Amino acid sequence: MKYHLITLGCQMNLSDSERVSAVLEGMGYIRTEIEEEANLLGILACSVRQKPIDKIYNKIAEWNRWKNRRSLITFVSGCILPADKEKFLKSFDLIFQMSELAQLPQMIREYGIVTPAGLKQPSPVMPKNEHILEMWHIQPKYQSTYEAYVPIQNGCDKFCTFCAVPYTRGREVSRPSAEILEEVRHLVSQGYKSITLLGQNVNSYGLDKNGEELSFADLLRKIGEFGKASGEEFWLYFTSPHPQDMNREVIEVIAAYDCLAKQIHLPMQSGDERVLIKMNRRHSMEKYRQIVADIRELLPQATLFTDIIVGFTSEGEPEFQNTVAAMDEFRFNMAYIAMYSPRPGAASFRWENEVAAEVKKDRHRKLSEVMKVHSHQYNESMVGKTVRLLVNGTDRKTGFSTGLTEGKLIVRLDQKDDSLLGKIVDVKITSAADFSMSGALQMVVSIPV
Amino acid sequence: MEKNDYAGYPGVQSRMEFLKDEKKIDESFYKLIEIKQLTDETFSLKLPKARFPFKAGQHISVGIHGNYQSREYSIYSGIHDENLEILVKEVENGYFTPRLHKLKAGDLVEVHGPFGRFGIGPIAAEKGKFVFIASGTGIAPFRSMIRSYPKMDYTLIHGVRSSKEAYQREEYDPARYVLCTSQDPKGDFQGRLTGYLKKCTFAPATQFYLCGNSNMIFDAVEILQKKGFKREQIHCEVYF
Repeated sequence: MKYHLITLGCQMNLSDSERVSAVLEGMGYIRTEIEEEANLLGILACSVRQKPIDKIYNKIAEWNRWKNRRSLITFVSGCILPADKEKFLKSFDLIFQMSELAQLPQMIREYGIVTPAGLKQPSPVMPKNEHILEMWHIQPKYQSTYEAYVPIQNGCDKFCTFCAVPYTRGREVSRPSAEILEEVRHLVSQGYKSITLLGQNVNSYGLDKNGEELSFADLLRKIGEFGKASGEEFWLYFTSPHPQDMNREVIEVIAAYDCLAKQIHLPMQSGDERVLIKMNRRHSMEKYRQIVADIRELLPQATLFTDIIVGFTSEGEPEFQNTVAAMDEFRFNMAYIAMYSPRPGAASFRWENEVAAEVKKDRHRKLSEVMKVHSHQYNESMVGKTVRLLVNGTDRKTGFSTGLTEGKLIVRLDQKDDSLLGKIVDVKITSAADFSMSGALQMVVSIPV
Repeated sequence: MEKNDYAGYPGVQSRMEFLKDEKKIDESFYKLIEIKQLTDETFSLKLPKARFPFKAGQHISVGIHGNYQSREYSIYSGIHDENLEILVKEVENGYFTPRLHKLKAGDLVEVHGPFGRFGIGPIAAEKGKFVFIASGTGIAPFRSMIRSYPKMDYTLIHGVRSSKEAYQREEYDPARYVLCTSQDPKGDFQGRLTGYLKKCTFAPATQFYLCGNSNMIFDAVEILQKKGFKREQIHCEVYF
């Protein structure tokens, strides 16, 4: 029996897919990348934009046509809006929340058996995360031997007006720190070099436990102490933090331990106070400015990434110019810039989408240009320096090896060497491009266990 | 069939227990007790006592059984009150609030929460000096705070169009409540609350809590910042 799994969206879904694979392979299913030969077809959905949702509707229509020719079961999980859930119930055979993953084998075995349990009872619209802890007990089937994701928190209580995640992932739940530390220890002992702590609001970690769990800073400190004692070289990242819960203590802890990567992803979304209020971001530019000042003071070598939405409702030209000014002020190494698109389930979906598509495109282009200039200037400043790199791929154009610095900047090597994959190497930067650098291999630093 | 009928068949029995558990109504659902009309457009929705502890000022997500939409509302009742209440203004031609308004006692309402940090804890409530600035139904979290901490040192500035929108004003200490009416002369101040705010002076350590529509909040934040108050002294909860 074979299964085929399509994973859409963010790293959280990628991490979840590793646990779905573990469950299915535990039942005896074998993964296939060829849809046509699978008996079980699944999708981990993403509701952040409309495009992946459209893809799901197209895919399930195709799969349901195949059912005329052969027997197969389809399922969908991940981030699903309540309205889509209602429609998916009619087209997919199984639909479950990730917190119900442990029950997936039973659902598959009982598929087609009508039981009184199927009788309709009031079921809540907002996902309940009470069983998410069981899902985290499932040992994932990691897709890489040197990069891994470790979920530490699920859900969101923030209710940003452009986002429906509180209604797709449920409320914030923190994973027990003992489990997180154990998974990190295990990964390091297996030679993993890049480990990313994941959560919708990763630095809200522990807040749902009312003092009975470590704070995010304390969790990082524990991992830092472990890293120091282990003597292993690895980089620990986290994503995504919310500025509301970012504090100086977290930055101090990152500064204190070598294994805590000097790379911060801090979503700004807009550089305008009024737009931030309209987005219900619950942080001011004053707060954001203070965090960046702390990062620059305590982690001068750190790279800074961000997320920005252009064309949000009520963003006029003056508001957009404030975002441009903030880009110039903070000089991010990377900004993931998105054009605002209203999402069903989010508060802003009910508002008039005031900014014309052409204006959004124009702002996206202008901001990307600003980003390109800042990135290029930073990359230029690195020429001649030696940086440490985790080799993680091959450049499509040149065929040469590529990797990421500790700050997650892309470096192309001057050679192709598949044996370097997963290794940490030292590279001398020889030239700079807009969003990458080129470098010459100096030395292989570490070899995966 | 009673579960004892299955004595000796443990597998069947446990399955029936499992089904029985499933038939329990999920604890997210509350039976509506009462809808109390406060003005032509505004009503409070009274539910049984909250099944979760909350901080005065926090909000909840409210849905209607069988409907896939939900909205967030500040809790209108105090932390010690016997009922969980929200304050709702019916939006003309809106989707959700007219449906909420049509609910009857006994109907199921889905509640999740509490959410948010727009709140005051019991220790802070007794120590600080607070100015609450609300437009319309934005008064809801402040009623919760005032009912929860009666000894609190506060001033409540409430901006509405007409004095009939001074929801349950008799509950507040008249010396601490300022009604600003923009469209009738019956308020303590005639005009927008931002006009009143410009005339006021406040103690330097005052904590400001703002709740209401985004335009009021934009303007009030600017006025307070011009008066020299830091952004970290100004806490906002925006209604959409």
